[in-house]
Amino acid sequence: MQSKSSKNLAESPKEMTEYYKHLSLFWTDIIHLMSSKPQALTSIGPMRSFATNSKKIAVELIEINESLVGFNQYITEYYKQLSNTWGIAQKKVNLKAPKIPQDVEQIEAMKRIWIDIFDNDFTELFDSKKFGENYGNLVSKELELTKHWNNISNVILQSVNLPSKEEIDEVYKEIHSLKKRVSKLELELKKEKRKNAK
Amino acid sequence: MQNESNIDPKIIEEILKFSKNVIEAPQLVAAPDEINLEVTPHEVVQKIDKTRLLHYKPIIETKHKTPLLISYALINRFHILDIHPQKSWVRNLLEQGFEVYMLDWGTPTSMDKYLDFDDYVNGYLDSSVEYIKNQSSTEKISLQGYCTGATIATAYAALHPESVKNYIATAPVIDGWKDTTVISNLAKHMDVDKMVDTIGNMPPEFMYYCFSVLKPFEQGIEKYIKFFKNIDDKKYVDNFLRVEKWLGDTPPIPGELFKQWIKDIYQKNLLIQNKMYVGEELIDLKKIDMPMLTQVAVGDHLVSPECSMPLHYAVGSVDKTLKIYPTGHVGMIASSLSQKKVLPEMGTWLSKRS
Repeated sequence: MQSKSSKNLAESPKEMTEYYKHLSLFWTDIIHLMSSKPQALTSIGPMRSFATNSKKIAVELIEINESLVGFNQYITEYYKQLSNTWGIAQKKVNLKAPKIPQDVEQIEAMKRIWIDIFDNDFTELFDSKKFGENYGNLVSKELELTKHWNNISNVILQSVNLPSKEEIDEVYKEIHSLKKRVSKLELELKKEKRKNAK
Repeated sequence: MQNESNIDPKIIEEILKFSKNVIEAPQLVAAPDEINLEVTPHEVVQKIDKTRLLHYKPIIETKHKTPLLISYALINRFHILDIHPQKSWVRNLLEQGFEVYMLDWGTPTSMDKYLDFDDYVNGYLDSSVEYIKNQSSTEKISLQGYCTGATIATAYAALHPESVKNYIATAPVIDGWKDTTVISNLAKHMDVDKMVDTIGNMPPEFMYYCFSVLKPFEQGIEKYIKFFKNIDDKKYVDNFLRVEKWLGDTPPIPGELFKQWIKDIYQKNLLIQNKMYVGEELIDLKKIDMPMLTQVAVGDHLVSPECSMPLHYAVGSVDKTLKIYPTGHVGMIASSLSQKKVLPEMGTWLSKRS
């Protein structure tokens, strides 16, 4: 295992992440197994639950790094697109506007040129496929980070015997389904009553 | 020294005046939080979950038998249709003798994330229509939908044509593939499943982002410069702050509803192809057979005319009218043009059929 992991470590960042994930899981599992019996006799409180679930947090933290790599890639591209568009628009403004405005009318004219060119160029960017795709990927990576944070919060909630997000969602879903059925029945009843009243 | 003498002293004067206006602004105008946007008197006649059905008090004697229900958009609040006494869509209709109801969708919370199109169309909207029919002892009502509210109203008119006497679609979101706006570009590339699964409802921050990419320099800089320059103009400032307050008041959109809206309208474009389902029912636009008026704005950068106009050609109505106005998305409903042209024309069309 040692030699295989070391070999993997050198191959790619993804394999390196997998290696550390394995390493972390191995030791948290072993420590948990070694300590669980004496601990179980003495503790049933939140710290015990937290210790039991802590390996989930370790996994999430490692996976956050993977999502962060993607997030950084798309956010860099996002600001690159914005700054490139800014540069091109500014060059267009420089060609059209006087260098130093001499009176109020010239300032107004320069401002108008600046706003029109910048609005046009940025709208063209926001309308483009390359922006749409990168922005979609950026939001997606941001959501992955949020998901990891949610998962970590769930571990903490469970350690203090509070319902997790999934459990709360299940309740919401059930309430929604019940309310829908009741309101449809109520509405049907009202319609029936109206029909019969005629 | 030579350069300094060439600069117009009026520039310095303008800068000083602008600075003075910025400093004095808090003494001259109200904070947006202090402004009440619900200007036309009304009463809340029905409440279901977070939604409210508002009934506006008549200003003159009601002249038309058929009441009008407005289905406002899912984005921001209905206040834009009653933003200012002089620019109020609702007030203008009351002055023309119509009986007006408004459906306020309210502010959904995390527990509303499972609300979907079915809840909005066959639940909240249908309950409101039933209430109005009961109150006014009529079999049918007139229905107006604005923006995404028109998407919901269109689905309603197709599923419940027996309850709709006249249908007015104002800047409706219908054909997502033909939409040429920045919003549709973002919507087409969005992983909406991941968004809803991770955060539940569509967060207001995302909507703010969508607004901020629409003419970012005109709307983000020039607009505020104009505001401070005109700080002494009470009418301008009042109107500006009302619209700004409305723009900033973005409630979340229920997750499932948002998911279906983005996927079925912008990504798969099912509605215009008569392939969209609401609950278990298929929406067939040909079933919209009542008199219909479609209103679009050529300068609409939120819902492009190409996205709205296909509805006019897709419905089964024989009596149908398409009106195109030289204004924008908000200009069509809350401007001098809407008061002088859009509303009088709509009033004339509606009164003949009410």
